[in-house]
Amino acid sequence: MTTIAPAPVRAFVPSGPGLSFGGELRSEWIKLRTVRSTIWSYATVIVISLGLAALMSASIDLAGREIPAVEQATFLAQPATFGVFFGQLVVAVLGVLAISGEYSTGMIRSSITAVPRRLPVLAAKAVVLFVCTFVVGLISTIGSYLVAAMFLAGKGVTASLADSDLLLPLLGGALYLALVAVFALGIGAMLRSSAGGIAASLGILLLLPIVLSMIPAQWLADLLPYLISNAGLASFGLNGFTSASFETWQNILIVVGWVVVSLAGAAVLLKRRDA
Amino acid sequence: MIQAQSLTKRYGSKTAVDAVDFTVQPGRVTGFLGPNGAGKSTTMRMIVGLDRPSHGSVTVNGKQYREHKAPLREVGVLLDAKAIHTGRSAYNHLLAMAATHSIPASRVKQVIELTGLDSVARKRVGGFSLGMGQRLGIAAALLGDPATLILDEPVNGLDPEGVQWVRHLVRHLAAEGRTVLLSSHLMSEMAVTADHLIVLGRGKVIADAPVAELIGAATRKVVRVRTPYAPELAALFQSADITVTRTEADLLEIVGITAADIGNQAARAGIALHELTPISASLEEAYMSLTQNDVEYRTGGTSDDPAAEYSAADLTESVR
Repeated sequence: MTTIAPAPVRAFVPSGPGLSFGGELRSEWIKLRTVRSTIWSYATVIVISLGLAALMSASIDLAGREIPAVEQATFLAQPATFGVFFGQLVVAVLGVLAISGEYSTGMIRSSITAVPRRLPVLAAKAVVLFVCTFVVGLISTIGSYLVAAMFLAGKGVTASLADSDLLLPLLGGALYLALVAVFALGIGAMLRSSAGGIAASLGILLLLPIVLSMIPAQWLADLLPYLISNAGLASFGLNGFTSASFETWQNILIVVGWVVVSLAGAAVLLKRRDA
Repeated sequence: MIQAQSLTKRYGSKTAVDAVDFTVQPGRVTGFLGPNGAGKSTTMRMIVGLDRPSHGSVTVNGKQYREHKAPLREVGVLLDAKAIHTGRSAYNHLLAMAATHSIPASRVKQVIELTGLDSVARKRVGGFSLGMGQRLGIAAALLGDPATLILDEPVNGLDPEGVQWVRHLVRHLAAEGRTVLLSSHLMSEMAVTADHLIVLGRGKVIADAPVAELIGAATRKVVRVRTPYAPELAALFQSADITVTRTEADLLEIVGITAADIGNQAARAGIALHELTPISASLEEAYMSLTQNDVEYRTGGTSDDPAAEYSAADLTESVR
C-alpha cells in the first residue's frame, strides 16, 4: 500500500469569542421567545388571571357588610391571586415544553453540540424561564389587583400596593408561578417527552393533592401540606386542598425543595444519558 | 485533526463501533464510507460528545470536544437535518445557536446567504423540505467558521445543483486548511468528493487509504475470452503485469491488457476467439466486495446478486 503524502497545508486556526453563560442565557431567551407555545401560554396566564379577578370581584356581594380597614388588603389579595391556581397548570405545561420540545424535534442535539458540557443548557433555561414567568406572573397578579380594585372600590374595599398585606401575596403568586415553571422544566428534562412530562407535572400539581386527601390515612393527611401545590398556594394565602399549616417562608422553602429535587434529577440524567 | 483511539460504542449486547482507530488530517476531504448500520453516525456522534464512548477516546485538535472553550468555532457538525425545533424560523434557530458563542447576527445572515436560504429564512422550519433542512443544517455547521467540519450524509435530499454546491464547498473548506469529514453510503459520491477514505463495516475500519488508491484497486479491468485454444492463448500473455485465469476449459479471464490488444495478438497468432468481453468492475462493485460481509441489513434470496443486495440495504434505512 503506497502512502501519498498530503500537500503541506497550514491548518486553519479558528478565532472569535467562545462560550459564556451570558451568551447561553441570550440563546435560551431567543429560543423561548421564538416559539408560539410561549406566547400563547403567557397570554393565557394573564387573560385567565384578569378574567377571574373581574368575575370574582364583580360577583362579591357584601350585602352592606363592611370589611374592617386592616383586613381590606388581605381581602383584595384574594381575587388578585385567584388566577394563579389555573396559571400554575399553564406554566407547568410551558416548563415541560421548553425542554421536551427540544427532545421531540431533535433540537436538543443542536443545543448540546453548541454547549457540550450540557449543564449550562439546563441552568440557562431555568434562569430564563424563571425570570420570564416571574415577570408574567407579576403582570397577572398586579393587573388582577387593578381589575379587582376597580370593581371593589365601589363596594368600599380599597388597598394600596404599598401595603405589605397586599404586595406580598402578589409577589408570592408570581414567585410560585415562576418556581412551578422551573419544576416542570426538570420533570420534562427527566422524561424527555411532552405527553409524559405534562401528565407527570399536572399529576403532581393537581391530582396528587386530591388523591392523597381522599385516602383515609392520617400519615397521608400529614403529608398534604408538603405537596408542592398545597405549600405554594398557601404561601400567598390561597388554600388549595388543605388548610394553612406553615409560615409563608416555610411554604416557599418547601416549593423550592421540590424545584431543587426536580432540577437535580434532570441534571444527573442530562449529564449521564446519550442525547 | 480528529484522532480516534480504540473507540468503542455498545448498545446493550450490540456493538455499533468496535475499537476503531483512525486519524482525520486537515487540508483534505476525508470520506467516511460504509453501509447503513456500519457505525458512521455513531462515531460522528461520539466525536462531538452526543454519545459517550463505551471504551476508548476521540479528540479534536488534541482535546475532547467538550473541553474546547469555543466548540462551535472548533467543530461545525451536521448530524441529521432534523436536529432543529420545527416551530422556530431558520433565522431564529441560527440566531439562538450563534448567541451561545456571541457570534454576531451579521454572521447568521452570511451563512443564510451562503446556503441559499434567504427566501425561507423567516419561515418556520416545520414546513421545510428535506433539501432545505439539509441546507439549514449546513448553515448551522458553518456558523462558527470552524476549523473542523463533520457532515453526516450532507447531500441527502439535495437536488443535483445542491450536490454540486456541497462538493465545491467541502473541497474549498479543505483547501483552506480545515479538517473535513463527511459520510456517505455511496462510493460514487465519495469518489468525486473525497481525497481520503475510511471505510467502515459492522463497526470496524475495513480500509483507510487515499481515494486514488482504492479506486485503482477497484477499477481493474477484466477481459473475458472464450476460445477452444485456451492454453495457446494464455501462453501469449507471459508478462508480469498481466494475469490470466482459466475459469473453464475454454474460458479465460485476463487482467492488465485491453480487449483490443488481446484480439490483435490472437489474430496474429491465428487463434480463433469465440467471445471477447471487457468487464469493468464498477466502483460500487468494488465497494460491495469490500463490505460484502459487513452489511447489516441483508435481504434474503438475492445474495448471488451483489448489486441488488446493495440497493436493498440502501433502502432499508437504519431507524435507530
